Amino acid sequence: MDSLSVIVNGISMGAIYGLIALGLTLIFGIMKIINFAHGALLMLSMMCSYWTWKYTGINPYLLIIMIAPVMFVIGYSTERFFIKPVLDAQKDVREPIAVLLLTAAFAIVLENLSLMLFGADYVMAKTTVTDATIAFGGVTLSAARFYALIIALVISGGFYLFLQYTELGRKLRSCGQDRNTASLMGIDVPKTFAIAFGIGTALLAVAAITLLPFYYVHPTVGNVFMTKAFIVVVLGGLGSVPGALLGGIIIGLIESIGAQYMTATLTTVIVYAIFLLILFIKPSGLFGSRLEW
Amino acid sequence: MIKIRSTKVIGLLLVMVMLLSLVAGCGGGDSKTTTVEEIKIGNIIPLSGSAAPLGKIGQEARDMAVEEINAAGGIKSMGGAQIKMLYADSKGDPATGVSEAERLITLEEVALLTGTYQSGVAMPSTEVAERYGIPFVVPVPSEDAITERGFKNVFRLAEKTSWRNRDQVTFIKEMAEKFNTPVKTVALIYENTAWGQGAVRAWEKYIPEAGLEIVLKEPYPSNSSDLTPVVLKAKNLNPDIIMMVSYVSDAALLTNTFAEHKVMPKAYIGTSGGFADPAYFELTGDNCEYYFDIATWEPDVNRPFSADVNKAFKEKYGYSMNAEAVKAYTAMYVIADALERAGSTDPEALRKALSETNITEGPSQMYASEVVFDETGQMVNAPLVISQMRKVDGKMERVSVWPEEEARPGMEIVWPYPGVGK
Amino acid sequence: MDAVKTKKISLIVLFLVIGFIIPQFVTKPYYLHVITMCLLWAYLASSWNLFCGFAGQLSLGHGVFTAVGAYVAVMLFNDYNISPWIGMFAGAGAAVLLSILIGYPTFKLRGAYYALATVAIGSGVVVLIENTQALGPFRVGGAEGLIVKLMGNAPAFFQFMSKQPYYYIALVMLIIVVLFAFWLKNSRLGYYLSALKEDPEAAEALGINVRNAKLVAAAYSAFFTAIGGVYYAMLIRYLEPNAIAGPMMSNEMVFLAVVGGSGTVLGPVVGGITLHAISEVIQFYFGDLAQGLHLFIYGLIVVFMIMFKPQGIIEILQKYYNRFLGITDRGEDEKSVKRTAGS
Repeated sequence: MDSLSVIVNGISMGAIYGLIALGLTLIFGIMKIINFAHGALLMLSMMCSYWTWKYTGINPYLLIIMIAPVMFVIGYSTERFFIKPVLDAQKDVREPIAVLLLTAAFAIVLENLSLMLFGADYVMAKTTVTDATIAFGGVTLSAARFYALIIALVISGGFYLFLQYTELGRKLRSCGQDRNTASLMGIDVPKTFAIAFGIGTALLAVAAITLLPFYYVHPTVGNVFMTKAFIVVVLGGLGSVPGALLGGIIIGLIESIGAQYMTATLTTVIVYAIFLLILFIKPSGLFGSRLEW
Repeated sequence: MIKIRSTKVIGLLLVMVMLLSLVAGCGGGDSKTTTVEEIKIGNIIPLSGSAAPLGKIGQEARDMAVEEINAAGGIKSMGGAQIKMLYADSKGDPATGVSEAERLITLEEVALLTGTYQSGVAMPSTEVAERYGIPFVVPVPSEDAITERGFKNVFRLAEKTSWRNRDQVTFIKEMAEKFNTPVKTVALIYENTAWGQGAVRAWEKYIPEAGLEIVLKEPYPSNSSDLTPVVLKAKNLNPDIIMMVSYVSDAALLTNTFAEHKVMPKAYIGTSGGFADPAYFELTGDNCEYYFDIATWEPDVNRPFSADVNKAFKEKYGYSMNAEAVKAYTAMYVIADALERAGSTDPEALRKALSETNITEGPSQMYASEVVFDETGQMVNAPLVISQMRKVDGKMERVSVWPEEEARPGMEIVWPYPGVGK
Repeated sequence: MDAVKTKKISLIVLFLVIGFIIPQFVTKPYYLHVITMCLLWAYLASSWNLFCGFAGQLSLGHGVFTAVGAYVAVMLFNDYNISPWIGMFAGAGAAVLLSILIGYPTFKLRGAYYALATVAIGSGVVVLIENTQALGPFRVGGAEGLIVKLMGNAPAFFQFMSKQPYYYIALVMLIIVVLFAFWLKNSRLGYYLSALKEDPEAAEALGINVRNAKLVAAAYSAFFTAIGGVYYAMLIRYLEPNAIAGPMMSNEMVFLAVVGGSGTVLGPVVGGITLHAISEVIQFYFGDLAQGLHLFIYGLIVVFMIMFKPQGIIEILQKYYNRFLGITDRGEDEKSVKRTAGS
């Protein structure tokens, strides 16, 4: 009974990691940029969702329709006005580390901006979902976690299909494979990049809303999930959507099961160690490589 | 071409701004006040980073105390001198704490330093004060070592971490007897920084001494994304008592997850910090009902001045004080008292006055009936009170339950833990 | 050409003189402390730059080396009374070993992957230190950290009551690392590094042993970084795992070096001094104004610096330097900056 609880918990939490990593893997895969502002953007999504919920009382899950477009615009403009100029200036540099640092500095800006705007208090959107639990076969799972699992599955599946079968999806993938060729084929690469960044950020809004009913919101909350999201992305394979979800679930399971045999702090070290091992042995990740695109 | 030029200009402007501000920064410090009407007190607290909310409430409590002291005529032995607070952000980082202590002492020439929230910041910044021979009043950090280094200028108003853990164990034994519920096993769940690790060392001393067995010692990173694995582990072992050291975010996660998985020990006992944070109730709702927590002060605690000061605070800032705020508030009165007796801002006179502190009346009563420091600078009898989270008139409140003479009249302790909503 | 040389030398002498007489004018300990911290950060950024800047590898885990250096030296001092002057070399040696240990598996990782690997290593090491109470006979102190045994004024044990000695030590350290960087840049290894920074495959094809070049450079970088860690420990006299090994330490080095101009000899020095000075000034003026305001401004400055001066502040200075020397750079484009900066 208990081992089942542990596994179910690992999967549900892992699915959320996967959902958070989805936007990162997209940006990573297409633009080859590590977005260190990913955690801060998650935080921003959570802040926006929380305060909208607080003042309107709309069901958090319905907020997705409102917050996701807002975050898309934020992501799109961020790419357009901040990242693109740096990317252009470093066109002939092989490893554009300036962009990476730009996103890291951007994260500092966002974190402290929301500290000034929203204050330093820990808050949580306590809704009817928050304290509800679902029990089946002796396993209890909070309703919020259960919904999060379902949303993660649906969104990942939908996003996968979107990338595979729509015109925009194909455009995005072609830019990820070879931006020069894509450009020759008449694809507006800079615009596609901005869209990719926008979609990646909008996906964060979805992750933010699944977290909202059971996780606290605070200007530093992004840091909790960011390193994990990176690990998930590498584990699952750069730019691979199913990889992100599966990678997330694997990390969730390691954390959940590992903590039963050792302390929770040591489990985090194990996660790092596994991550490094994957990097050394199979840098393309467990599930596919960028060639799959 | 135009583009390049504009970036050039921006770059140049940036450099100019930098240099100018640097020069201005150097110049600004020379305008030191030599007038006696103002006594500068430096205060290092976290105003950014994850402990920022605690820094904020500490700042508010101090501001209120200083306003009161100044309004009541300031320091009379110094011609009614007014206290002026200078706040500095430690970011919770030891090196920043050190550099801010240097600044406040040598540049602002403060009469005395106070503050710090994290023990990690308190350790090195008090050392700076010691080196300059400037008194440092530490109201909040509780790490034992702070007053165990033979420093002459450090005065701690807070209790030592180990005292809390000692009293928790005494409380458990008393309750087990009173309610005739045998208690054998204890699970320790704590955040993995200096604070949690220090608490565990004290627990490992007092718990076996009391004839109890530690069945789980579980450290977790305070920024964990999920504490369910820890909760499931504890559930599996089914301990009689679950004791926790947590900051507010993880305290809330633990509480909610315990409720979700219906873990039923005889008692949950927190160790202040996150459990005493005003945000804790908002984050946990009814899930924290019947939890115990240990602190040095409670809004309902049966002590003089307590209710009035808290009421004034609530009117001013919109929420209740917490134990840390009370210590910060009291510290200002202790400092004012020392200034009054020293009659000057001379560090040595001030140090001597602080070491001879013996306050048995005034607003500091809300914290302790007497404020006395021992030769290490440690407050001798920092009183501790255990409270239980209870629903009073449909709202969650901290109800003081132990020791009995300070308990809220008419409230019975609920023991053992009956479960959420019972 | 002679005039140019004279100008060059007089400039160097001028800066050295300024560096050495600053304590005569800055008597307030706080200002001297801030200037000392600027020098220390300039030193750490330069140490990071030795490998990461020259070879174009983005390490976000250099805090590991400051931590190893600091911990080894402090443990030797606390438990065996070995002076940190000697202990610092033990610490640096340990850091070199560790850099090789880390280097072997990571050297083939590129760009983002290398950066992420260093993040994971850095974070892992912090957790490990936090959970180690003792290492054999040495006290590590776990998350509670280590207090450096206080000796009062003991120059033989790297402890001084006054700020001046700390200032001069930091200055000398900075001069040494700059000289070393200058030598490295113009050495054979330096050419290897800039070749493999441009194109590792091509460098390999030219017969450069890419792995060895990276390992050696990383070892140099670890050595100097660790000494910086020891200095930090003796200045603050308290080691907290997260402060000495955590992301704050690791990321700050990178920010300073890149904003100053990574891959150049003097860029990290300029970055370390100016950016750290700016952050102190901002903290001075805005620290108590609104929560987070000073960090917000700091972040914005970094963002705009990266956007508008991606080659670093050194790029601006280079122009004035050339003008001072009488070299007209009208025909030269921005790339010349990279080649000539600091030489």
